[in-house]
Amino acid sequence: MALTRRNFVQTVGLGTAGALTASFIGSRGRENFIWSALEPTLHAVDPGMIVISSNENPMGPGAKVIAAIQSAFGADGGRPGRYSGGARDLIDALAKKHGVKPENIVLGCGSTQILRSVTHVFTAKDKPLVATIPTYEECADYATLMGNQVVGVPLDSEFKPDLDRLADASQGAGLVFYCNPSNPSSTFAGARATRDFIAKLNSQSPGTTILVDEAYFHYVTDPDHETFIPMAVQNPRVIVARTFSKAYGMAGLRIGYAVGHAETIKQLASWDAGSGTSSLNVLAMAGAIAAVEQDDAFITTERARNAAVREFSMKWFNDRGMKPTDSQANFMFVNIGRPVREFRDACRKKNVVVARDFPPFEKTHCRIAFGTMDEMQKAVKVFGEVLGKSAAAAA
Amino acid sequence: MLRTRRGLFDVLAGRSSTAGAAAMFAARGHEAYVAELQAQGRTAGPPLPPGVNEIRISSNENPLGPGQKVLDSIVRKFPEAGRYPFNSSPADSQLLAAIAAHHQVKPENVVLGAGSQEILKSAVRAFTSPDRALVTALPTFENPTSTAKGLGHPVKEVPLDSAFRLDVDGMIAAAPGAGLVFFNNPNNPTATVHGAKTVTDFVQRVRKEAPDVAILIDEAYHEYVTDPSYQTAVPLALETPNVLVARTFSKAYGMAGMRIGYAIARSETIKQLARYKMPYNISVFGVAAALAALGDPAHIEAEQKRNTEVLRFTQKVLEDLDFKCTASQGNFLFVDLKRPAQDFRDACAKHGVMVGRDFPPFEKTHSRISIGTMQEMKKAAEVFRTVLKPPTTSGR
Repeated sequence: MALTRRNFVQTVGLGTAGALTASFIGSRGRENFIWSALEPTLHAVDPGMIVISSNENPMGPGAKVIAAIQSAFGADGGRPGRYSGGARDLIDALAKKHGVKPENIVLGCGSTQILRSVTHVFTAKDKPLVATIPTYEECADYATLMGNQVVGVPLDSEFKPDLDRLADASQGAGLVFYCNPSNPSSTFAGARATRDFIAKLNSQSPGTTILVDEAYFHYVTDPDHETFIPMAVQNPRVIVARTFSKAYGMAGLRIGYAVGHAETIKQLASWDAGSGTSSLNVLAMAGAIAAVEQDDAFITTERARNAAVREFSMKWFNDRGMKPTDSQANFMFVNIGRPVREFRDACRKKNVVVARDFPPFEKTHCRIAFGTMDEMQKAVKVFGEVLGKSAAAAA
Repeated sequence: MLRTRRGLFDVLAGRSSTAGAAAMFAARGHEAYVAELQAQGRTAGPPLPPGVNEIRISSNENPLGPGQKVLDSIVRKFPEAGRYPFNSSPADSQLLAAIAAHHQVKPENVVLGAGSQEILKSAVRAFTSPDRALVTALPTFENPTSTAKGLGHPVKEVPLDSAFRLDVDGMIAAAPGAGLVFFNNPNNPTATVHGAKTVTDFVQRVRKEAPDVAILIDEAYHEYVTDPSYQTAVPLALETPNVLVARTFSKAYGMAGMRIGYAIARSETIKQLARYKMPYNISVFGVAAALAALGDPAHIEAEQKRNTEVLRFTQKVLEDLDFKCTASQGNFLFVDLKRPAQDFRDACAKHGVMVGRDFPPFEKTHSRISIGTMQEMKKAAEVFRTVLKPPTTSGR
């Protein structure tokens, strides 16, 4: 996403981080939005590259999803010409999967649309957005667009969310964006800590909504781990965002969803349900239904595959004295001890694409997604060449 | 063509018969219709009797769907389903560039939408406010109206003129102090069109009376227009600040299910709209499909001819029954059946023919009928004749 986002994050980074005023972001964030329209022109990737920049599942969605998409064309291929009324089928499938009611779910064009809707509904001029720095920027982008304040809270020394500071900063806030595992740091706050954080926030600041973004949920292997969907359907101040873009391997199809209390979902839907439905393409929805209904083994297998590649990739850096954060996702944030831009440009010349800058860590830390084992074995060779003699020598 | 497609999907699906897919398609088609009705707060009637196939002429879709080249392009993208659109080949940037080239404009004159509905929504969000109203017509495509109402922004709905066209003078009069004028040309549901001179005059007069007001000209049905006085407003949008043209791949391009639309305007106007664009709003399938469609202009020409022929046939059927249609320049008819649209709709639905919903304030007299294939419309015509026949006064 974007050079634009890179620019924006640079402003968010601030070096020292801390609270951001709307006017500060406003002055430079505008450029971000202006560029956003044009961002794709900056970002095309050539075929044949090892693309480990966007935290995608390199395996794709699997045979059952592809078969469902094929069937969705219709016998004569005419179905893509028809508007879709299939949103309800997908919502029903998700409700069944999560053991919730259909009124607890709203669909989005990727979880991106969910993040935007939640930010729209729950922030205001006097109700800021609170998020860690760095984090996934969609909510901050949108709050800034609306002219609403964004308060940034730095990560702790292990690159995990500092939950006490986050709770304190959230007094009177409209919305806390809680991405767990966190992007780009790949770290994770355990279920108990998250429960305590939410309880504290509910009691200290009962008007504040918490958006728990579980985009990378399926990749977590830490045993202290649970979804907050059951809490969200009970607690009107908690919303969970999910996506088909990560472990389900469907980033190209653009489907995400929110799960929450029926009243909360109704609020979201009244703002953007029309587009929640009309934004989704008919092939993608057929694929998503198959993804939800397929055997859990798909996700279990993908989690294990990723965990093996994660172990290999993190070890490679650890062995060379470059410390990654404690990844619970399908990417890592690793201290390469040099500006990411140089590293990225050099890798790209050797057909390996790693992620953009994430200020305030752009001088030291690179986000690297996990491709297939084969891709990572090739990628680390390139990393070794690019990072120089010392790195290569340890190999 | 059908054979080729079937062959393609058989190979992909590893099956030798399409019976399953056909059944699924038919079933899902009806489900989709039911969902559409439910979304409008209504319920569908009982399921169709066995052997009666549904004819869906309710949503102004191209009944043939996309062409072979488009289908092939989507299938070729299967391996990239897991990639974000900016990481796929072709990437969404290439679609943006291709649309710009198609209109001989620069990429900064274009913004992509998940269907033109996203464009319409974004325009309402960008240009209206609690103090600055949406000016629109009644009836017209209601997405901007419902978006503005959802935001709590005022809406001024200007009735159509006596020929069921947008009331240009009325809309100009309503423009001062407003934020956005929505000008659907051809207008859905009435299918009427204004010629290029009228549109140019309209834009110039709005600019004069209310220079701060944005004008969104929705040309969703552009490819279907045959009236020689009509021209696209794209050149007008490029030379006039605050004027945007919306286009879609959902109509003649036959890709309603793929969700791709766009807006064209001067770059400074596009920037205002683009602030509200959802990131990565076009799927990898949509990117490939739209690129393939732009590369196949013959398909669009054929579709326009096909539609015109079937439209004339259908209009004649209705006129022979003594019902008057508006001057249609779309892929649908707006016809005065002299009875509530609901009665007609329900009667047709019993025969598997699904026609358009209510369009107040004309719901007591007019129905909107989309143009299906010739074969479908011949069958539909029989149903129309049956349900529209005057009540017999004689006893048995």
